[in-house]
Amino acid sequence: MDNLFVQVGIRPIPAPQVKKQKWGRGKPLASIAVLTLILLSCLFCDFFIPKDPTYMDLYHANVAPNSEFWFGTDTMGRDIFSMIFYGGRISLFIGFFATLISTAIAIIFGAISGLAPKWLDEVLMRFTEILLSIPNLLLIIFVQAILGKANVLSISLVIGITGWTSIAKVVRTEVRQIRSAEYVVASRCMGAGFFHILWKHLIPNFVSSIMFMVVMNIRGAIGAESTLSFMGIGLPLEVISWGSMLSLSEKVLLSGSWWLILIPGAFLVVTLLCVTNIGNYLRKCGNRKVSNL
Amino acid sequence: MIRKNPYIYYGRKILAFALSVLILSVVVFYIARLAPGDPLVSYYGERVERMSTQQRQWAEEKLGLNAPIYVQYIRWLQNAVKGDFGISFKYKMDVLEVIGERLGNTLILGGIAFVLIFAGALGLGILCAWKEDGWLDRCICKIGTITSCIPEFWLSLVLILIFAVNLRLLPSGGAYAIGHKNDIGDRVVHLILPMTVAVINHLWYYAFMIRNKLLDEVRADYVLLAKSKGLDKKRIIFHHCLRNIVPSYLSLMAISVPHILGGTYIIETVFSYPGIGTLSYESARYQDYNLLMVLCIFTGAVVILFHMIAQIINERIDPRMREQEIVDTTEVTEIG
Repeated sequence: MDNLFVQVGIRPIPAPQVKKQKWGRGKPLASIAVLTLILLSCLFCDFFIPKDPTYMDLYHANVAPNSEFWFGTDTMGRDIFSMIFYGGRISLFIGFFATLISTAIAIIFGAISGLAPKWLDEVLMRFTEILLSIPNLLLIIFVQAILGKANVLSISLVIGITGWTSIAKVVRTEVRQIRSAEYVVASRCMGAGFFHILWKHLIPNFVSSIMFMVVMNIRGAIGAESTLSFMGIGLPLEVISWGSMLSLSEKVLLSGSWWLILIPGAFLVVTLLCVTNIGNYLRKCGNRKVSNL
Repeated sequence: MIRKNPYIYYGRKILAFALSVLILSVVVFYIARLAPGDPLVSYYGERVERMSTQQRQWAEEKLGLNAPIYVQYIRWLQNAVKGDFGISFKYKMDVLEVIGERLGNTLILGGIAFVLIFAGALGLGILCAWKEDGWLDRCICKIGTITSCIPEFWLSLVLILIFAVNLRLLPSGGAYAIGHKNDIGDRVVHLILPMTVAVINHLWYYAFMIRNKLLDEVRADYVLLAKSKGLDKKRIIFHHCLRNIVPSYLSLMAISVPHILGGTYIIETVFSYPGIGTLSYESARYQDYNLLMVLCIFTGAVVILFHMIAQIINERIDPRMREQEIVDTTEVTEIG
């Protein structure tokens, strides 16, 4: 008799059969592998690079790639193969460190703005908008001028404090959505401080939605360092990084020393590409709630 | 909101614009003055080092550099309202004159690039959404991701290396050959490389945004309805879906202005193209305050203006959109 009565309302739809996927499917395995390889070889470059990257071998300046100098030498006679891995350390360090700075600023600023009363929130957001409206390049030149002669830390700082606005906006939106959730209110009633709430309740909630932007920020920072050094307002020539290696290239452009331009640039682009792929993957995973803009 | 009282609405917008520009000018003024470096150097060149203390004082007084910063700012503001932005320390000319010479070049480069980027992005976006997950879509996505990873300056270098140095087809820099200032053909030839870099660098990012927006739309319920009524794919996409992504397209355009502008600045520097990009780079390096102020405020004002225009257009097209809800730039801040 049970079957006589039909349930009225939404027809129950059987859950779609999910095909069992292979473990690695959709994951950017190749990118992760290449990036790990680059990272490791930069970290442990001391063990395998054939020459001293800072040594200027003036007899062999501007030599095309050959069996002794695998990637050739630059106009000051430094071995490019050694410089790439040695300089990669600095480029990657700047990428991570600058991102750390800007993420920290963005989280704190965004959380303050999200928890603040409406007028303060309005003021803070207007402020970020104005900051966004100045082209970053000008901003970086300014801050760099204030900090004086560039070194690795100062340039990470500059890139860090100019690159936080877009993350802060997302953090703020997320925080506004969960600020009046019961657990936050309860925590506050028990006398929790700002950083406690931030660390225990807010960050775990929005970390997935900013993860992608943080990874992309690394890419932005590495790119920014190389652009700045190339334009001559970043790291000086003595401090080897991918950017400062490329800053030589404008001078050799007309002499046709292609290895000075193409090889460090290729490393830069491959690294950026790997980071982007990983970032895109994170966006696909983490951004289910948020618009996929 | 617009219907209620247009005067108050637009009045508020204009007020907000003026306030933003004012704050921007204060910030830029303070940062520029607090920066180390000697603005006298850009005015007097090497002679500064041989100056006696009295001469220095006299020079600083003459250029108005000895007063406290806020006094300098108020003085600057009073003159600026009258349209007098001071003289450039480096070029010893009125700031507006210096900029006027170069503004046209940048507008041509940036403007044409802007049009090309957005026309191309719309086309590519539609194409990709049409062939979603087909081989064409996947190919374009892959190539696009790669091009968006290449830093502008490096792409410029590679293109110069190929086309200017090895093939000797195109000039490597500048806006025109010497003596060909009014020759349009020559200018076009000089524009090809910088323009290519600008377009390639930004095209994919916006095409991708449009593709994603369209894919969201295609999954909406009204598309199912339209399909069940028997409309074909072309009509659904072009008549229904495209109309719905117009607001995001427009705000995307507005938001892209600082990025494209910043990108042109870098490209101008690499190609030594005489635009305001090279000018602002120079003025920041040589502490040419007056010039820098005007350039920053000009750039900022353009950007803020475009933001507001996007907001207004958005609210007119789609009244559901509230004032703050313009598309958030979830973009990574790339330099520029």
